[in-house]
This record gives sequence, C-alpha cells and structure tokens, in this order.
Amino acid sequence: MKPTREESNGIGWALVTPAVGVLLLMTIFPALYLLWASFRRFNLMMPENAAFIGLENYRNIVTNADIRHSMLVTILFVVAAVGIELVLGLLLALMLAPKSRSNAAAATLLILPMAVTPVVSALVWRELFNPNYGWVNYYLRKIGIMGEPIAWLSSPQTAWFTVISLDVWQWTPFVALILMAGLQGIPPEPREAAAVDGAEGWRLFWDVTFPLLRPFVAIAVLLRTLEAFKTFGTIRVLTGGGPGISTEIINLTIYRTALQDFSVGAGASLGIAFLVFLSILVPQMLRVLARDSDLVEA
Amino acid sequence: MRHTPGQRILTALSQVALWIWVLLAMVPLVWMVTTSIKPEGYAQTIPPTWQFQPTLQHYVDVLEGAAVTPFGPLLLHSLVVAVGSTALALVLGLFAAYALARLRFKGKRFLAMWILSTIMFPPVVAVIPIFIMAGRLQLIDRYLTLIVPYAAFNLPLVIWVLRSSIRQIPEEIEDAALVDGASRMEIITRIVLPLAAPGIATAGILSMLLAWNEFLFALTLTRSQVKTAPVGISEFTGMFGTQWGSLSAAATIIVAPVVIMALMLRRHLIEGLTLGAVK
Repeated sequence: MKPTREESNGIGWALVTPAVGVLLLMTIFPALYLLWASFRRFNLMMPENAAFIGLENYRNIVTNADIRHSMLVTILFVVAAVGIELVLGLLLALMLAPKSRSNAAAATLLILPMAVTPVVSALVWRELFNPNYGWVNYYLRKIGIMGEPIAWLSSPQTAWFTVISLDVWQWTPFVALILMAGLQGIPPEPREAAAVDGAEGWRLFWDVTFPLLRPFVAIAVLLRTLEAFKTFGTIRVLTGGGPGISTEIINLTIYRTALQDFSVGAGASLGIAFLVFLSILVPQMLRVLARDSDLVEA
Repeated sequence: MRHTPGQRILTALSQVALWIWVLLAMVPLVWMVTTSIKPEGYAQTIPPTWQFQPTLQHYVDVLEGAAVTPFGPLLLHSLVVAVGSTALALVLGLFAAYALARLRFKGKRFLAMWILSTIMFPPVVAVIPIFIMAGRLQLIDRYLTLIVPYAAFNLPLVIWVLRSSIRQIPEEIEDAALVDGASRMEIITRIVLPLAAPGIATAGILSMLLAWNEFLFALTLTRSQVKTAPVGISEFTGMFGTQWGSLSAAATIIVAPVVIMALMLRRHLIEGLTLGAVK
C-alpha cells in the first residue's frame, strides 16, 4: 500500500521543514541581511546611523588595492594548496592501492592529520617553524639542506611556504584516501587487456587507469576547493595574515573589516562579492563533476 | 601476472617513499606529544632533547590553570556544544533524510540540491549577521548560539549520509508496517532508526568531530561562559611568550578525542566527508 501522492506531499514537507528552517536561518537570512547592509555605511559602533550609500562599498572593493591583493592571494592559496594536494595525493594513492598489511597501516596513520583540530595544527606549525628552537630549522641544517636559520614567518615567501605546507600536511591524506578507494574499485580487466595489447607504464596509467579514476579526482578537487575557500583559523593563528597583509586571504579580510574594525557595511559588500563569486564557480565545477559522478544525482 | 625485476624494484621504492611521507607526517604529532611530557626547560633546547624523565606536570598545570585559564571548563563547553549540535543535527537530519529517501513530494529534487549546495556557503559570511543578531537578542556567550549554527553547517553531511543509509533498507519492511496501520512517525522511530544505526553512528561521530574542531564561530560568539577549547588554546601565546609545555599538553588533550573518533570511523571517515560519494 503506497501512500497517495497528496498524502506523501504533506508528510514529505512536514518532515523536511525543521531542517530546512534551520538551514534557511543560517544561510539565506545572513545573506539577505548582508545584502541590505552592503548598501549602507553601517558601523557597529554607531548602529543607528546606517545611512544608505548606494554602491559606494562595492566601488571601494574595485578601487582598493589591499582588497584586490586579498582576492588574488585567496585564489593563489586555493589553487596552490589543492593543486599540490592533488599531485601528491595521486602519488600516495598509487603507492597505497595494492592491498597489503603495510599499506593498511600506512592508510590508518594517514587519517591522523585530518582529525587534528586546525587551530592546534597551526600552533604546532608555529613552534616547529620557530626560528630559534624549531625542529624544522635545526634538522634541515643538520642534514645540510639549509645554511642559515630562516625566520619563516618574517618574509612573505617563507610565510606562504609554511601556510601551504600546513594545508598540504593536513589534507593530502584526504585526497590520497579518496583516490586510493577509487583505484581499488577499478576492475583489473581493462588494464590486463591493455597490457596484453602492449601498453605499459605511464601510457597504461594515463590511457586506461586515469579515465576510470576521474570521478574520484573530480570529487576530491571539488570538496578540497570548497573547504580551502573556507580556511580561516589556521592562517589566523599561524600568520595572522602577515607579514603585513601578504597571507591575508579574503576570509581574514572580511572578518577584520566587519568584526574588528566594525565596518559592517564594507565587510558585507565583500562577503556578498565572495558569495557571488562562489555561486558562479561552484555550479561550473559541479557541471564538470556531474559528467563523472552520481554525487549530485538527487 | 608475472613481475619483472624492474617492477619489483619500483614496488620497493614506492613502499620506501610512502613510508617516508607517513613518518614525516607524524612529526608534528610526535613534537606535540613529546613536548607535552618533557620537564620544564627541556622543551626549548637546541639540539632538541630526546632523553628526559617524562612528566605529566604540564597536564596538571593546564587542567588546574597554573599557566593560564583552567582548561577543564573549556573542554566541558566544547563537549556540550559538540554533543548538543550533533543531537540536533541528527534529529532534524533523520526526518529530512527519510523524506528525501522514501517519499515523493513536489520540489523534492530542488530541495535536495539546495541542501547540498549549502556546503559551499562561506561561514565567515554567515557569522557577521549571526553575531549582530545574537548581540541584539542578548545571546552572545550562550550554548544555543553555537549549537544551532554547528547543527546547520553539519546538516547537509548528516542528511546525505543518512539518506544513503536509509536507501539501503529494504522498502518491503516499511510497506508491511504501513499495511499493519503504522504511522510514518512509528516507521521512522521503530524501523528506520535501528536499521540505519550504522549510518547514524558515522554521521554522529563526524558531526561531533567537526563541531569539536570549529574555530570561527566559537571565536566570534563566545566570551568566557561557553568559550571552547580551540579558542582557549589560541590565546595561549600571551604576554609571557609561549609556554611550550603547557601549549603542547593542552594541544594533546584537545586532539586526543578527535583522533580516536577518526580512527573509530576508519574507511567511513572518507565516505562521510565525501557525503557518501566515495564508499
């Protein structure tokens, strides 16, 4: 006895409404509020003085060099971190895929970095890269890779190295374990057939294995990209956006503008711009993903 | 398949490379744990000290608050928020997941896509209005103010994991109960709930882990009453410089439960974090 369409309609909506309500409250409501605030000179110190100023906040985004820098730096961070994680993750996955006791142990150990509280990993990174007492400077000099000790967080280039290396340490295992699951699910027949036909090594991987692995690559890249765009705590604790504003990604800029300088209007316009950027980027990525995967099949 | 000597060398080399990565990846954790049990004065030495009498003094200091604010209450706040938000997400998520998995209703496809799409919503955009509203409603520094946003941000993951686990339950069981006159509510609580238990465990542990680790909302919306452990430890570098012993002891205390939870999940961790896309 299947429920009738009408009955199902009512119950269906009744069951999803509480969840949808909470989600609306935490996504659509904030977005609408920010949209309203973004057209105003809204300072939290004088909240009653929220004068309508049209597009001035948005004009400031386009003209302000620091904000342009922050946007550029955000994209560089996401592309560099996710790109490196994909390459290293693929290499690790290829090494991890053959089933053995040693590989199972390695896969288990690789879970650990993912679980570590991001703020804690940033604090540990800061001490590992401490110029005077850090293990990184000491052991790199000891094995002769490095001459003079480096003050890692004092120059933009080395600060970027620490920021990216932290993300790579924490999230390469995520990519590796997804791709490992993908590789282990690929049936051996196509490879064997191609090997019989004389394909080998690199060509065998690129022409036969990789196309079958593509859905997994797509999911790993999509989820890592989304999470990398949300990065906040690690960079705030590790560099605070510094030195200067060299590692200040957009999340830190929005937070500082709206909640430390209390310029909610200016921060809101940045937040809306960021949201619009993501809503253009993500469907494009999903379109590529939908070709390969049933993640989005509802 | 036959293995040529070349292939055997390649396999051996790849094992070496794999284990070099794995061992290097353990270094930060080794630093954290060894520093936390080194006696005062042994932590910041060059070259690093590897021979020392282990001590638990730093753990005592951290929990009693000898170094900075006592850490016990912060851990309690973190626990309440993690458990509370997970409970809320599981209850709301189970009903929604059941509807999405089993019922046919207008707008279902759109709704499912919309729920999934909220994972791209940047938390920093949400936190500003929530901070302002919580301030107006006198809700800053209350458990509820963290529990609701955490539940919301874990809902897509919870719903997706539960939906796929409900879909694996044979529909005939529910049909039989419907014929016997059971209501939808009874079906969800008496049949779906026990049969979807593994999925509920996965979703629940993941949601606890993510809530325990969260920083941005906790930093913005708490002061002293419900300040969580990640915010507390980020304030360790005070005017006296970093006390490495206390810092690493507090870090170990925060990280230990989440590492255990992640190890409990093993393969399901990836399944959950990819919203069921990778089994």
